Amino acid sequence: MAEQAYTVASDSETTGEEKTSPAFPEIAIGIDIGTSQCSVAVWNGSQVELLRNTRNRKLMRSYVTFKDEVPAGGVSDELAHEYDMLSGAAIFNMKRLIGRVDTDPVVHASKNLPFLVQTLDIGVRPFIAALVNKMWRSTTPEEVLAIFLVELRAMAEVKLRRPVRNVVLTIPVSFSRFQLTRIERACAMAGLHVLRLMPEPTAVALLYAQQQQQSAHENMGSGSEKIALIFNMGAGYCDVAITATAGGVSQIKALAGSTVGGEDLLQNLMHHLLPSMDHIFSSHGIEEIKRMGLLRVATQDAIHQLSSEMSVPIDVDLGNGTKISKFLERAEFEEVNKEVFQKCETLIKRCLCDAKLEAEDVHDVIIVGGCSYIPKVRNIVMSICKREELYSGMNPLEAAVRGAALEGAVASGISDPFGSLDLLTIQATPLSIGIQADGSNFVPIIHQNTTTPVRKEQNFTTVHDNQAEALIFVYEGDEKTVEDNHLLGYFKITGIPPVPKGVPEINVCMDIDASNVLRVFAGVIIPGAKCPPPFMEVRMPTVDDGHAWSAQTLHKTYGSTLDLVTVKKKGQH
Amino acid sequence: MISTSTRLFLQTPPPPVNIFSSGDNSALSPSSLTFRQSGYFTAAAATCASVETESPTSRYSTLPRNLIPASPASFYEILDIPMGATVQEIKAAYRRLARVCHPDVAAIDQKDSSADDFMKIHSAYSTLSDPDKRADYDRRLSRRHRSINLYSGGCSPSAMSGFTGYTPRNWETDQCW
Repeated sequence: MAEQAYTVASDSETTGEEKTSPAFPEIAIGIDIGTSQCSVAVWNGSQVELLRNTRNRKLMRSYVTFKDEVPAGGVSDELAHEYDMLSGAAIFNMKRLIGRVDTDPVVHASKNLPFLVQTLDIGVRPFIAALVNKMWRSTTPEEVLAIFLVELRAMAEVKLRRPVRNVVLTIPVSFSRFQLTRIERACAMAGLHVLRLMPEPTAVALLYAQQQQQSAHENMGSGSEKIALIFNMGAGYCDVAITATAGGVSQIKALAGSTVGGEDLLQNLMHHLLPSMDHIFSSHGIEEIKRMGLLRVATQDAIHQLSSEMSVPIDVDLGNGTKISKFLERAEFEEVNKEVFQKCETLIKRCLCDAKLEAEDVHDVIIVGGCSYIPKVRNIVMSICKREELYSGMNPLEAAVRGAALEGAVASGISDPFGSLDLLTIQATPLSIGIQADGSNFVPIIHQNTTTPVRKEQNFTTVHDNQAEALIFVYEGDEKTVEDNHLLGYFKITGIPPVPKGVPEINVCMDIDASNVLRVFAGVIIPGAKCPPPFMEVRMPTVDDGHAWSAQTLHKTYGSTLDLVTVKKKGQH
Repeated sequence: MISTSTRLFLQTPPPPVNIFSSGDNSALSPSSLTFRQSGYFTAAAATCASVETESPTSRYSTLPRNLIPASPASFYEILDIPMGATVQEIKAAYRRLARVCHPDVAAIDQKDSSADDFMKIHSAYSTLSDPDKRADYDRRLSRRHRSINLYSGGCSPSAMSGFTGYTPRNWETDQCW
């Protein structure tokens, strides 16, 4: 696989040759890697088609089983029984683990999964291992994802009878840019080139834009602007987007996302059924893993049944004298997960507020993802959006991958004689990006929900007399202090002239291009200088695993000596 | 083994989006339209800078001041709409131009400039689609027109005061990428 990574890197240099080749442009495929399930779709020349694996399935379980030498993923592998996935040998939920450090609450919640997630709680990557021949064999979320993507790629190549390189992947709204680099790394390991990483609800928005355009054509309608609210809740994440659509252009007005999903519903209910769960499973012995698996399957089945039933019997013998036998009411399930549902409510309200819209302004409410079948989730969305009906033109489990396939075709430069690909997504930033200034404050330069591509700049100045250097810490997030946001990178500006504090003008400019690449430009401005110090251009993120340490170490080493403060705009004194 | 090799890959910038490298591009992008308008996009940048304080200013500009056009394009000219355009017309114009100028749909040889073009279009749109910002902008615009008439030149004192920090800028040339 190492060679494949190099192939990816060198491929960019050979684009000149491709230009002259008469072959059709390669259509990028759309991949939706869900926490629990995944799917692949591609534009087949007239419409989007979901690819089926050798078992004729469109939706495949996202997991990789480690056995002896050859790991096998959910694309080609067929489990004899659900319990096989819970034997300790299978790693799943990698989307919840990728790019997270061991102090992250999401990682801690993953310790109840039937494989090994070990934390040292110091801000490094967690230790993840699968049980192979009664030994814990270590791996990483990137590696697991890459193995899975290799299988997906092989399947797509067989189906399409051509090599597959370019992909559009859907991602949760709440992913940090650091997490995006981990996804890109996994793709590179699998020999795939990422054309776009598309927030899941924006992929759904593109599908909606296409549907609206088609119905406008059919009805000879004016194709006036339509506002849609998209609520997407899967096993790992909950996302909301608001899009304004007309003429095939989907303009993302606001995005909101959080790490709540079906996995939380499941874990909360498991805790409810077996309050001593954490204690019982903490040793991670082979027997405990088996019991954990039994409880997991029983709870999952119960949740599925509660979507149509008002109560469901649970009967599971965990061995060792632990038996759970009871009737679970739907109301009980909803009460246990009150906080999760509240978070969903908050997200929708925040998204409406950020888009400066009222519920009445929304034309269509679209709900997709595995959790869209849960009555409580549907009720929440309908009550906040004040309507009786939800948009019905989409398969909730296929909408995101279909949108990704459309984006793949559009971004590959494919056009359709019937105008089905006259589409465009105008994306917005899901999180603010800024730097540390005024102490440990986060000063956003590109705000959340800003349309991209975008370029913004702001001036800063020194805090000490004769301060010759300054450190630029770049963060992403929406919290007031930098500690609560994601560190993307840092670099030093030198050559500040020896003048009193507050005099030098330090300019920080941030640029996000159409491919969502973030570049930070920074330097000192010396008016009238013949030969000013060169500006720095830094592609972000630059941090690697364990990045929380580097910021702390820098603060410890330099204190506030290299700090910056914002320059107040005129009229704000 | 795997991670070292991929790290190497990831530290290099990603391959440029070469998606338009093969096949016939001419049908995809009405590049002529982009070209015709690029003249006043550059000039309009100055107008953007005065309204949106956070947008880049002319720090990196190497152009002498006397190259400033007498009357930079207004947001209305950028969107190619009359001054009395309705909100619907503004939105429709924005979408129409985005379908041509957005980097996702622009031809490969236009990729670099299309992001700049799109940002200018978006800047015009975001001001004109907000009633308060539009009213404020219209006031500035009419003041500028008056002063230009009075002094018959773009470098009149009042025109300059109305548009502080107003110089042409062009990120491609300024940054020397």
